[in-house]
Amino acid sequence: MSVNPLVEAGRSFRNIDPCIVVIFGATGDLTGRKLAPALYNLGREGMLPPNFACVGFARREKTHEVFREEIKNDLNSFSRTKPVDEPFWKTFQEKIFYHRSEFDDDAGYKALATFLNQLDAKLSTRGNRVFYLSVQPKFFPLIVEKLKKNGLIYDAKSGDKWSRVIIEKPFGHNFSSADALQKDLSKHLDESQTYRIDHYLGKETVQNILVFRFANSIFESVWNYKHIDHVQITVAEEIGIGSRGHFFEEQGLLRDILQNHMMQLLSLVAMEPPVNLSANAIRDEKVKVLESIRRFSEQDFKGTILRGQYGPGFINGKEVTGYRQEKDVSPTSNIETYVALKLFIDNWRWAGVPFYLRCGKRLPKRGTEIAVIFKDAPGVLFQQHGKKHDPNVLALRIQPDEGIAMKINCKVPGPSSPIQPVKMDFRYGSYFGQSPPEAYERLIWDCITGDNTLFARADEVAQSWKLYTPLLDFWAANPPASFPNYASGTWGPKEADAMIGKDGKSWRIL
Amino acid sequence: MTAQQIVDPSRIEAELLKIWEPLAKENKMRASLFNLIIFNKLSQRTDYIRKIVEKVVEKFPCRTLFISEDSSAGQNYLKTAVSVLFPGATENAFACDQIDIGVAGANLHQVPSLLLPHLVPDLPIYLLWGEDPSQDHPLFEPLSQLAHRLIFDSEATDNLPAFAAKLLDLNEKEGFEIADLNWARTEGWRDLLASVFQPSERREALSTLSSVSFVHNSRTTESFCHLKIQSMYLLAWLASRLQWKWLTTDKAPFFTLQGAKNRVEAQIQTARHEKLGPGTVISVDLTWENHHFFAARLSDQYHVVKVELSSHESCDLPYHYVLGQTATGQSLVKEICTKGTSTHYLGMLRQLRDQKLC
Repeated sequence: MSVNPLVEAGRSFRNIDPCIVVIFGATGDLTGRKLAPALYNLGREGMLPPNFACVGFARREKTHEVFREEIKNDLNSFSRTKPVDEPFWKTFQEKIFYHRSEFDDDAGYKALATFLNQLDAKLSTRGNRVFYLSVQPKFFPLIVEKLKKNGLIYDAKSGDKWSRVIIEKPFGHNFSSADALQKDLSKHLDESQTYRIDHYLGKETVQNILVFRFANSIFESVWNYKHIDHVQITVAEEIGIGSRGHFFEEQGLLRDILQNHMMQLLSLVAMEPPVNLSANAIRDEKVKVLESIRRFSEQDFKGTILRGQYGPGFINGKEVTGYRQEKDVSPTSNIETYVALKLFIDNWRWAGVPFYLRCGKRLPKRGTEIAVIFKDAPGVLFQQHGKKHDPNVLALRIQPDEGIAMKINCKVPGPSSPIQPVKMDFRYGSYFGQSPPEAYERLIWDCITGDNTLFARADEVAQSWKLYTPLLDFWAANPPASFPNYASGTWGPKEADAMIGKDGKSWRIL
Repeated sequence: MTAQQIVDPSRIEAELLKIWEPLAKENKMRASLFNLIIFNKLSQRTDYIRKIVEKVVEKFPCRTLFISEDSSAGQNYLKTAVSVLFPGATENAFACDQIDIGVAGANLHQVPSLLLPHLVPDLPIYLLWGEDPSQDHPLFEPLSQLAHRLIFDSEATDNLPAFAAKLLDLNEKEGFEIADLNWARTEGWRDLLASVFQPSERREALSTLSSVSFVHNSRTTESFCHLKIQSMYLLAWLASRLQWKWLTTDKAPFFTLQGAKNRVEAQIQTARHEKLGPGTVISVDLTWENHHFFAARLSDQYHVVKVELSSHESCDLPYHYVLGQTATGQSLVKEICTKGTSTHYLGMLRQLRDQKLC
């Protein structure tokens, strides 16, 4: 039988291949805060295969028992369901193991292979593997090479068992490094085995963009240059860089947020309907959007692309330091903590529609939003003192307070006809009354089930780097003159307001 | 839940607004994903149905319109009451309306017109029919005509083949989406069996199954007495999916079926467990060729089963499988409220109807 007759397509999500998840960098922050809680919650909700194990791979010496205890402590601190469910943990912890090795030590990988084979025999995990590379990017090629060399990555078409590799961001530093990394990885990994994670894509509200657009005919029919004036995408954070000084000094905000997360949001908002919901069909359409973005000119670098860096200021009434005073940051650093830009997508749907993107740290509040601002209604009616009415706005709130809001104009009750904008608001939390699963839960589960729709494909990453690498080169050659140029707790540099103001528009207040 | 306030039918919305005034000041939000109409006859089962509704509301806030018919009342009456439900923890930001309708005698015919103004527009309408749909009732047709989805509980029937025939008619002839609480309760077991035969090399074994056995809880309660339905559902589901032919059905609890390659001896047994729900499937036993599969609920965690798989040559290490809280949990609510009609369920119902299995 080629198809399991006991499985009802589209209803049951629990017939998943048995497997072992190996986490490289198992003692790191991400494992404790996100990966271990994700696996635990998946297990608790019965979403993991019954024949399952998780092996932590890291350089520090420790026993299985110590590792389990550390994971349990992390769960009590960071899991969305707390405290740890003791009866469940009792059985779940028996599936957690630790393997110590250096990342470049062949003997360590051989020992890992032996250990995984033993677990296969003991737990019937059937040789299936997920390798999660939660390590510094410089180790990606090395680890993949060693995994392949030691028989831990199988041929993609081997059929009876599979191996998949999840790669954390950043995927490259610019186009050439991303291209080189891709070439290194593709020597050992097929694209179908490569899962480039962008946790934004695992958020329910991001996944809902496609449903919202393509399951509601009223929006899709006005989703084009005829009706849309412009689009604003904002990723605002009130926090600074925290303890990530070293990392941020190498990356900057464009690489950290804009080049990956924001371009994913942009491509989902702007893409054409895919021919079906397969991973490739969706990703094909996303790539077309990225390919259609008008390349930036030097004039854009100087005019419609702004960078900023936060200085000291106040957040929630508390004084905070500037970027250059943060730990592990150079006091003369020119790294950007704010970016605002305008871009155009040169295709039929979006001809002439500006997309304004901004992201920043130490802004007044945290919020990620996509706002679609519609063209004004003809102004012949309901004019008051020559003042235009507010345009209709459709705002997709990605985080926090996930939801969708629509701003419309209404008549204020009474004999005269003043018009006032009102908001129709849909909130996930209110309607569905439950916290959505964490993005990492969804993405790890997708990887185990072999669905890479919500992972970035190599050509998506390459297109995005192609767009931004000339800008990064320009910035490197032309250091900013006036950093820091915005105070913590404000909405960024004044030049960003002026940039959008020149077009007769203004940034939305979140 | 706020205290129920008995109100005149014409004051239902106004009184609900009154209840909401102070709640709004506490930032409670009035939420509703759909309208849920519930009908049942006042009996011991009413509390059980209310608990099901509470669980639904906890996961999916909705406006509930709870109709209770007092068929033993010696007089006609129609009473309405309103309250606000707080799903789950009281600190939840949202809450939803509940309208209770008590009715007896000739006033029954007023119920549909009483409901209509209180359905929240533009939202789906689900009808949870707490009685046996194969028994005629004057409210069934008018209420079902309002509904986008009909939810039943086969526990309410004394005649499973008639129940199956009625549901198939509703789906096939009248196009209703249907769901069944007892079917939802077996979801974990179905998922487990599907996962056991998911590896391609084991799938062939399905055609060589030679015996199946289910054990369910023999404990009864005042609201639960049709105990073998869940076991029968699982057996009929296997028969439907694997295209078995029934050879003997008159020697229940023993059945003989013809599989693709050999005969299948089926058996439904009972055991008593005080803490498990009545009729809940406790264990499943399958054999094929020289293999034996056995899965049974753990005594300290009833929603988890221990799975053992062995053959003459080898013995897999036992493992645990989380069935889920199918009696009350989210999977139950999702099954009855958000998933479409299961094609596997329809296939299973055809077995019950055609073979007159009861």
